[in-house]
Amino acid sequence: MIFESSEMPKIVIVGHVDHGKSSFIGRFLHDIKEINEERVLELKQASEKRGIDFEYAFLLDALQDERDQGITIDTTRIFFKTKVRKYVFIDSPGHKEFIRNMITGASSADIAVLIVDVNEGIKQQTKKHAYLLKLLGIDTVITVYNKMDLINYSESKFKKIKLNLESYLNDIEVHCYDSIPVSAKLGDNISNKSDKMNWYTGETFIDVLDSYDISKNFNSEFLRFPVQDIYRVDGKRVIVGKIELGKLSKGKDLIFLPSNERVKIKTLEAWPKAEKEYQRGDCVGITLDEQIFVDKGNLASDTIRPPKLMNRFESNIFWLAEKKILFDKKYLMKINTGEYLVTIKEIKNILDTENLNFKKSKNIKKNDICEVVIHSHQLIPLDDYGFNKSTARFCLLDDEEIVAGGIIDSKNYPDQREKNEDTTKNIVPVNFSVSEIDRSIKFKHRPGIVWLTGLSGSGKSTISKNVEKNLFKKNYNVFSLDGDNLRIGLNKNLAFSPEDRTENIRRTAEVAKLFTQAGFIVLVSLISPYRSERKRARDIRPELFREIYIKASVEVCKERDVKGLYAKALRGEITNFTGISSPYEEPEKPNLVIDTSKEKVEESVRRLESYIENEFHF
Amino acid sequence: MNKNIRTLENESIYIMRQAHRSIPNIAMLWSLGKDSNVMVWLAFKAFLGKIPFPLIHVDTGKKFQQMYSFRDKFVKKWKVNLIKGKCPSLSQIDPSLPPAARSAARKTSGLKNILKKNKFKGIFAGIRRDEQGTRAKERVFSPRDEFGNWDVKNQPPEFWDQSNFNYPESVHIRIHPLLGWTELDIWQYIKDENIPVVDLYFAKNGKRYRSLGDKDITFPVKSSAKTVDEIIRELQVSKISERSGRAMDHEDENVFERLRSAGYM
Repeated sequence: MIFESSEMPKIVIVGHVDHGKSSFIGRFLHDIKEINEERVLELKQASEKRGIDFEYAFLLDALQDERDQGITIDTTRIFFKTKVRKYVFIDSPGHKEFIRNMITGASSADIAVLIVDVNEGIKQQTKKHAYLLKLLGIDTVITVYNKMDLINYSESKFKKIKLNLESYLNDIEVHCYDSIPVSAKLGDNISNKSDKMNWYTGETFIDVLDSYDISKNFNSEFLRFPVQDIYRVDGKRVIVGKIELGKLSKGKDLIFLPSNERVKIKTLEAWPKAEKEYQRGDCVGITLDEQIFVDKGNLASDTIRPPKLMNRFESNIFWLAEKKILFDKKYLMKINTGEYLVTIKEIKNILDTENLNFKKSKNIKKNDICEVVIHSHQLIPLDDYGFNKSTARFCLLDDEEIVAGGIIDSKNYPDQREKNEDTTKNIVPVNFSVSEIDRSIKFKHRPGIVWLTGLSGSGKSTISKNVEKNLFKKNYNVFSLDGDNLRIGLNKNLAFSPEDRTENIRRTAEVAKLFTQAGFIVLVSLISPYRSERKRARDIRPELFREIYIKASVEVCKERDVKGLYAKALRGEITNFTGISSPYEEPEKPNLVIDTSKEKVEESVRRLESYIENEFHF
Repeated sequence: MNKNIRTLENESIYIMRQAHRSIPNIAMLWSLGKDSNVMVWLAFKAFLGKIPFPLIHVDTGKKFQQMYSFRDKFVKKWKVNLIKGKCPSLSQIDPSLPPAARSAARKTSGLKNILKKNKFKGIFAGIRRDEQGTRAKERVFSPRDEFGNWDVKNQPPEFWDQSNFNYPESVHIRIHPLLGWTELDIWQYIKDENIPVVDLYFAKNGKRYRSLGDKDITFPVKSSAKTVDEIIRELQVSKISERSGRAMDHEDENVFERLRSAGYM
């Protein structure tokens, strides 16, 4: 295979402590004659001084403490070349105390080599490292089975461990590029084919490495350009940043987030002279054809598929600090070039990397990996990790240090970006000939929106229907708007993604508003799982809006399961099902709570009915 | 420019802009060597032709004459703001260090004085990972305590272009925009961009300097490379390490770590 000679892959070596990472690198570099005699002499002296055999690991373990204790404390890098190309090895510590150093090293790698001591087998950090690689965005590994000499080069033992590891890698969706049995100590299958493992028909490590193609296709029709800074150069305002996705050229249309303003690129700026086009990875400056307000940390994007603007989202994080997670604390979230104050609202699960089981707990220990829900007061432009890794990962800092890193799962919460800002510009509303107050006087009650929110099966529709009937008998102008019924007609084209749920709620709220203009009290029964969306509904007519929380836990609703939907959701036949695979955010300050797991339907109906009479009767 | 050099250039520019944005009151060490010339060049690129902070030359008073004249020429030509700092005499330096290292440690003291006087919170240093084992362990943004000490066993995590900048008032940050470059990359870039260097790097009478320091503790190596192209060709096959002509590196196994832990570059 022929590669562009300038490609220089970065390879991180990971694995459990003492499985031979540093020694493997040392041996490899020695075998390919990348260590000069001067260094060999230095290493020899350093080994002798400590009364040990010649230690290849000292090539990387340069710190006195590392050499004295025989461990790797911090990550390091070493440059070398084979006949095919140049490389960087990134060595990383295998001790769990130094996971954050492992992450520091591994985060910039193109590919990983996962080393397992075949004599010891797969250990805790073997799995932890593999899983962390996945979170760090490295989805391909070369597995190296070290210390084959200690198991007499046994094919069956090798195969057994290989099978176990491959099944684990498969479960976490990390691709195994190749597997090589080696002895770093004796140099088997590193750059020379071993004569002690005739059963192994594969290639040596160096040949495997040289055959790996790191060239990636970075072309994308989409654009992500985080604003790093703004400079004033010769009277021009130059916005500088690094392109994280796509390309930039003169005349290109951009959207800046969170301001949501559209603008065109006027010029590209660089010293001494700018090129015509820049692509992913390039640091470049731009000027705009219109003066809009842009600040450090904003994110410029293409106009076709901009990131979501969110103030709550889910994330997989790895916790790096000794300190506990605090739920009432504001952490500084750094994402791209932006900084936001956020709180960790909830820990959904903690992952046990040993067996990939999830457990529920609020106690996070150092180096734990968990799923959390994050809230922010500001809107943050976010991509999903599946769409573009580099703009969908962040770190969290407290007042002193980086405490966590995380990747974004934006699927379960809605986009808060205002999309149709221009369409209503030329529309002038017509005044009504009958005023709302005239209608109220005639009907003897004010209009109102009574918004029933709660899980599917909590009892919203049942209560609403009964209240409607009773109030109608008392001469109220009342109407029940049901989420399910609307989905048959007006909202037929909407599904259950966060965006469609948002639109569903918007339309329903607008219909409710029309009813209030006609003087009605509208009972809206809609799961409406997001606080942000219920707030939008409230904002349409805040003085008339009442939020009623029909409370029943997922367990209770699952038990009832009148429509059989929970059973289907649990079988995976329905995706995005609230309470099962999609979140429900309880109201913070509802006007009324009706707990249907504690009271009978008649009681609930009576309570809501009298609440409405009190609120809206003249 | 090949892809690898372009990647390195972009990374360095990103780091410089991040430093300028995140750390108040920064400056750049300019030792007049090839690496720091590349670093200054990259700063022109990062800040679009005008470097918005001063350069510092920590002068031991024992540099080669060619280096001083190079400095004076390019201060004018590049219109940079230069701070010249003096170093204390040898008698004031830790006597337990071996002779060459003790001499080099003068520079650490000189630097500390400048930092203190100007209250710099961040200092760019053009060190590279491939030069030396403890430099290979460095972070891009590496905090130093109030005594300038490097806590090498407890370095902060750094990933996905994110670092911590929030340290106590007494801490300053060493900024290392060239960590990922190799000696060969530096020369390739000097060639691509036509960056000026002191002519001591080019062979005279079969010898040239691969690394420049104080003239009494720096020695030339055997070489016939008289041009940048010849240096590049030489480095592609050379088995001699870059700092072999720097006496301080070879006095004792732990000496470089001792120097660096105490604040050397």
